[in-house]
Amino acid sequence: MSEISDDPKLPKRGQVLFAALFLICATLLLAAIGDQTKWLKGKDFFAQPRFWPGIGVGGMVLFTALHYWNLPRRERRLPRWMREADWLQWAESLAWAVIAGGLALWLGPVLAAPFVFLLATLRISYLYLHKMDWKEAKAWLSVLEWAGWFLAYVFLVPLIGYLPVTLVFAPLLTWRIGYRSRLLLWSSVVFGFVVVVVFKSFLQVKIPGAALYEYLPGALRNFFILNF
Amino acid sequence: MDLILDFFAQMHSSAGILMRWDVVLALLVGSVGGVLIGAIPGVGPAVAIAILLPATFSMDPIVGLTVLLGIYGSSMYGGSIPAILINTPGTAVNALTTYDGYPMTTRGEARRALSLAYSASFFGGIFSVICLIFFAPVLAKVAPMFGSREIFLAALLGIILVVTAHRKHTLIAAAMACFGIWLNTIGLHPASYSKRYTFDQSWLSGGVNLIVVVLGLFALSQAFILLHGDDEKIRLTKMKGSFFQGFRELARHPRIAGASASFGVIMGMIPGVGEFTAQFMSYTYAAKTSKRPEDFGHGSSEGLIAAETANNAVPAAAMVPLLALGIPGEALTAMMLSVFYVHNVIPGPQLFQNDMDFVVALYIALLVLNVLVVIFLLIATNHLIKVVKIPNKFLGVCILTLSFVGVYSLRNSVTDCVLAAGFGVLGFVLKRLNLPIVPIILGMVLGGIMEVKLRSAMARVKTPYDFIDRPIAMILFLMILFVLALHLRRVMLDRKERKANEWSTSHASISFETNLSRRKDFLLTERGKKVRERRSTFSRRSTDKR
Repeated sequence: MSEISDDPKLPKRGQVLFAALFLICATLLLAAIGDQTKWLKGKDFFAQPRFWPGIGVGGMVLFTALHYWNLPRRERRLPRWMREADWLQWAESLAWAVIAGGLALWLGPVLAAPFVFLLATLRISYLYLHKMDWKEAKAWLSVLEWAGWFLAYVFLVPLIGYLPVTLVFAPLLTWRIGYRSRLLLWSSVVFGFVVVVVFKSFLQVKIPGAALYEYLPGALRNFFILNF
Repeated sequence: MDLILDFFAQMHSSAGILMRWDVVLALLVGSVGGVLIGAIPGVGPAVAIAILLPATFSMDPIVGLTVLLGIYGSSMYGGSIPAILINTPGTAVNALTTYDGYPMTTRGEARRALSLAYSASFFGGIFSVICLIFFAPVLAKVAPMFGSREIFLAALLGIILVVTAHRKHTLIAAAMACFGIWLNTIGLHPASYSKRYTFDQSWLSGGVNLIVVVLGLFALSQAFILLHGDDEKIRLTKMKGSFFQGFRELARHPRIAGASASFGVIMGMIPGVGEFTAQFMSYTYAAKTSKRPEDFGHGSSEGLIAAETANNAVPAAAMVPLLALGIPGEALTAMMLSVFYVHNVIPGPQLFQNDMDFVVALYIALLVLNVLVVIFLLIATNHLIKVVKIPNKFLGVCILTLSFVGVYSLRNSVTDCVLAAGFGVLGFVLKRLNLPIVPIILGMVLGGIMEVKLRSAMARVKTPYDFIDRPIAMILFLMILFVLALHLRRVMLDRKERKANEWSTSHASISFETNLSRRKDFLLTERGKKVRERRSTFSRRSTDKR
């Protein structure tokens, strides 16, 4: 674990990928600042609507770039011919000059700067990203499943009702994560019921009655909409 | 003296507020709930407070805040139980308790350790509340001296302290704080009615709600972490002995308990510093002044006292910048700030002048809370320790179910839930990478405060020096410079140490290729120098002019 990282508490896998992604997003946001915020004439510098977003996004780019620079990295091992081919390095330098110059001529130097920085970040990230980073990215993506469960729960509650969805959701998710014991499955049902009763019936938090409750007979309909 | 007498009169009137049945119930729920939440590793007060926040909005401010304060103040008591019994801190701030608590358990002194932790926590909690009760009249005098520029500088100091407190992650912590500042600016700019970073999306024009971010980053991400991980096998030891022995033992170490509680109070009051620094300082102090420093980390009662006293002295003290200036020092008080805003109670100098009853009632609530928690723990510890056995993944299901109430009940908005899920994934990634989350929340809260205060302060400032020409502004400015200088010095020292380590060690993980390359460098430079030197000794270069 500590092969690259000099801080034993800092896991190395995924650090470069995260820094690169965060830096890319921050740079894109910085590039959009002219379009997304306004600079009002005659207004005080510190009261400008662009001032604080500028501090925020500028700080994000600056500090993430420095963090990226400071990260313990391991360079990708390029094939031998690439390492030894001088012409490739010359060609790359030339390509950079053409891209930077072309963008500056096309967009103007101020607008072009974030894009050149973005391209440079991508190029550098290619050099320092490692197989381990992609493995870590898989773990990040795998969590989308749980986010999906949560969102499904969110979408179903206004349709079917808070109580019924919770009573199904809790044991179903408990089943999904691998528990088969009756104790835990029933505990999850009881837990779901208690949550609904405490928050909706007792504390009266704002969760609207479901579309399905409309089909219940008169008094039961009101009772369900109010309490469950 | 008059100040103190006034204050006691105030206490009398505030006690009336606390006699209401709903406040008493809130105190009970907060204290018992807090202990339970603290005792379950993997939940923690931040998750609980984030989930409960929207539910407290419909309550009276004092009731809602009492519940949240109860959870905040009592979770550390509960957190010491798994720290001592199974070597897993229940809340993050109990990490230092494991150093001395767990070795005591392995020696068969679990009950002694627990009782010592309870009594030390109780002392820390009561000490800080008493300090603050006597300090409140002074605060009421000082707080009105804080104008816009002082509050701006205090918020700036807070953000700098939060960032620099993340040692070795300072840069990314700063980036996260800036991310928070940026998040807070999304939406309509209130002073000019112009849109900022809304990308022409209607759902962004209202801005990003702090509670949605908090729930995503703290609650949902924790649920994802628990669902993603594995369950741990836990063995509990049987306990023998009396729980009251801790108080007797604590009485034998008044110096350490007093010093640790003082560190807790002082560090708690400075925004952005908090429990960890207080614990670190008091633990170091206790180890340095102890007669048996070699016992620290191996089950020293003094170490346990230092750690537990310091962390429990912080919550009450952390309310000082929040109530007096409206500046939260860490994530939990930042969350509580939103409760104030929802009820249109604006914390700050005016609160101390106009609503002193409310402030004193909060302090008395904290005092009563500590007594309630200790009584509850002395009676119920044997039953309470069973909550440690709840499997982690199952806890994940529970938190996910509860998070829904938190996010959805806020505005019944599906968009909020999607955003919260997004922040949950971000929080999951940050937690996995061991990167800081708290600066995002503080960036959002303090960024908002700084924006408003800087705008109003600059209206009356002609030259840059005008900004710091008042005494408190000057002190704050000097403090900012001092903190930055201190941080710079530490960075330089760290760098030096890292360089020294790089050159001194040759560990097995260095690849064969690197070894060869180092060898080559050595031959070319170091050995080359020696060879040249040797040759030059035998055949000196002629200095004669030709």
